[in-house]
Amino acid sequence: MDVLNFLADGFATALQWNNILFAFIGVVIGTAVGVLPGIGPMSGVALLIPVTASMTSGQDPASAATSAIILLAGVYYGAMYGGSTTSILLNTPGESSSVVTTLDGYQMAKQGRAGAALSIAAIGSFAAGIFSLVALIALAQPLSDLAIKFGPAEYTSLMLLGLAAVSGLAGKSMTKALIMTVMGLLLATIGMDNVSGVARFTYGFPILYGGLEFLTIAVGLFALGEVFKTIINREYATGEIAKVGRVLPTKQDMKTSAAPIARGSILGFFVGVLPGAGATLASFFSYIMEKKISKNPGKFGKGAIEGVAGPESANNAASGGAMVPLLTLGIPGSGTTAILMGALIMYNVQPGPLLFEDHPDVAWGLIASMFIGNLMLLLLNMPLVKVFAKIIETPPKYLLPIIVAISVFGVYAVQYTTFDLLLLIGCGIAGYFLAKNDYPLAPLVLGLVLGPMIENNMRRALTGSNGDFSVFLTKPLSLTFLVVAALWLIVPILLKMRGKKVVINEEV
Amino acid sequence: MTFKNWKWKAGLVAAVAAITLTGCGGAGGKSGDYPKKPIVVVAPSGAGGGWDKTARSLTKVLSEAKLVDQTMTVENKPGGGGAVFLADYVTQDKKNPYKLFVSSPPILINNLKKEGNSPYGYKDTTPLAQLTKDFGAIVVKADSKYADITALMNALKADPTKITVAGGSAPGSMDHVISILPAYKFGIDPKAVKYVSYDGGGEAIAALLGGNADVIGTDVSSAAEYLKAGKVKVLAVTSAERLSGDFKDIPTLKESGIDAEFTIWRGVFGPKEMTDDQKAYWEKTLKSLNDSDVWKKELQSNSWEPEFRSGDEFNKFLDDQEVLLKDVLTALGMAK
Repeated sequence: MDVLNFLADGFATALQWNNILFAFIGVVIGTAVGVLPGIGPMSGVALLIPVTASMTSGQDPASAATSAIILLAGVYYGAMYGGSTTSILLNTPGESSSVVTTLDGYQMAKQGRAGAALSIAAIGSFAAGIFSLVALIALAQPLSDLAIKFGPAEYTSLMLLGLAAVSGLAGKSMTKALIMTVMGLLLATIGMDNVSGVARFTYGFPILYGGLEFLTIAVGLFALGEVFKTIINREYATGEIAKVGRVLPTKQDMKTSAAPIARGSILGFFVGVLPGAGATLASFFSYIMEKKISKNPGKFGKGAIEGVAGPESANNAASGGAMVPLLTLGIPGSGTTAILMGALIMYNVQPGPLLFEDHPDVAWGLIASMFIGNLMLLLLNMPLVKVFAKIIETPPKYLLPIIVAISVFGVYAVQYTTFDLLLLIGCGIAGYFLAKNDYPLAPLVLGLVLGPMIENNMRRALTGSNGDFSVFLTKPLSLTFLVVAALWLIVPILLKMRGKKVVINEEV
Repeated sequence: MTFKNWKWKAGLVAAVAAITLTGCGGAGGKSGDYPKKPIVVVAPSGAGGGWDKTARSLTKVLSEAKLVDQTMTVENKPGGGGAVFLADYVTQDKKNPYKLFVSSPPILINNLKKEGNSPYGYKDTTPLAQLTKDFGAIVVKADSKYADITALMNALKADPTKITVAGGSAPGSMDHVISILPAYKFGIDPKAVKYVSYDGGGEAIAALLGGNADVIGTDVSSAAEYLKAGKVKVLAVTSAERLSGDFKDIPTLKESGIDAEFTIWRGVFGPKEMTDDQKAYWEKTLKSLNDSDVWKKELQSNSWEPEFRSGDEFNKFLDDQEVLLKDVLTALGMAK
């Protein structure tokens, strides 16, 4: 087999001592980048490009490119691993793809299961990373052909399916979940419209032209909202400190998590392959799916380990999936892969249809190094779990200011504007009142992610079809998504009408 | 090496300046104390398009050839065909000489067009230098049934609703102008042509390869890699004469009997408020860039044609281009 030969060559490249060192540096920095909110994988990789350029300057161009890309990919994966840490421990998502991890991860930490949550996130990420690499090697070509077939109509329907599935994020009341979803969609319309370039709801404030930053809203709603709640309810006064239980997950935890990890890996990989969909969406979809097929969905939001295992696997698998369009077509599927592509171009390696022919050493060296990087991450992260988990034992009077500081720092590091800090505080206050009145926060965040994607793709599809809405029904994939979305909404109602007990529709 | 020496002095001056001039905003400093911080070059689009490639090549060569000692990074700021970034830039970075950006005709078009008008244009920035010229390309998939531009135009004339034209920027912007210019000159109502905009040239090519667009208007350099790989056919280029290299067999619009020509210049811009020293620094640096062999090689590998204008000459060129584009947009019924 050709592929195996190439892969063997790739391992020979990746196992050179300097490349192992580069991979190690990459994953260490990546983990740090992931743990610190604000510096996400995208800015982390971007910041390191000039550093790697000078580190590799002594080598010949081809091997310099390989070494640099190995390091940068390590940062990317490392950040995906580390991103869950603050979500779980502090309810402060480090990047957008770990927002959904806060839902159950933070609850687990509060119950003293922080160790289990962190290690299952690391184990899930590892399994997903390895899975997505195998899939990348085996399926890259056919998948990239399929991914580009995914047109505006298919995207629109897939996003609509995501919206229909929002019921999976509902708390006690579907109505409230829908209100929050629509709020998210409305907030997403603020800013310069990408299809026509018209400014909407900006009232002449240039700061609003770029729209509201997703991470600011998520950190405000989740992290600051929780801080305000703790202070107002005087929870800190009780002196109740969550104890860190065992660090490793129990046998039962592993058993419960195995299936979510497998499903999250597969789902995440395929969502990652689609240009533009990305890790955030993959993690949301995985969470919703896990809740939907769980035997007792009531557990979710109260510290279900599946709610951590699934999404954390999915976002890692998505980062592997995003490599498919990048390496085979030269089309970056996410912000981070766009920056990786820029790094490759810097070394005169043009990602695209000719990459595997022109630069097999770079392409296969990168793939092989990902195996090594993932293994390093697992070995690196398991001992760290113990250290990180201690954070939760910090008394609230020290912990709360730390959370506020991290939130402010993180948001400012992304946006560099004081407007976003005000928005952060506003969202924190809103988050407190919304959560107090049982309005679920996750649907709002999902609406914010999906809104622009639905809108832009729907308008593209309709332009293509001369305004004919049947385009969504005539494309088989699009139709499939729509049918599933419709069933998702209708089946529970029908079941309820026939007197069956249905969990998601309970209004308390 | 005089340059090394200069660098060392610059460092010293910067250090002294930092100690003695803290808070003075660097005003009145000698040219030697600029730049003293890392420089960001913004590509106001997603990755993979013409702006992005220009920004990355520019920073790469400037660093490699040691023309700029500070680290230079590229940032992507997509949205509104560059208008989103420009609004931010003009308002937030008016005095920030450490953020430059790459632009091309859209900076004029966005300011001229009626729909999705950008309130800001090149007059709200400091045009530093034009670096390259590129040309528009009308591109179809390799297995497309349209063998030449005339066949495509005839089909488009017969029924414009059957053909989806796509590009990497919003309606009324450059990819749109490239896509409909041949049609307009061929006698087709430009408003009847279906145009779908994507976020950047990369997404537009994906739409073409996936069969979600029948034809795209893009630039020659973005199409080169896909032409080499045999994934696409280029039906025509918008240059006055045939191009060299991989494009030597591609006819121009004029050869195909369509009297249209469009040049995509690309250049570097700075913020409105730059000191004379800062302007002089970039004029000098970009001139040495243009003369360097590394840059010439870089241009070749991207199938770009060099064309250098700086300072007043560049400003004058932009004034002329503005008049020209205003004519085209008025004819298309899209002018402000």
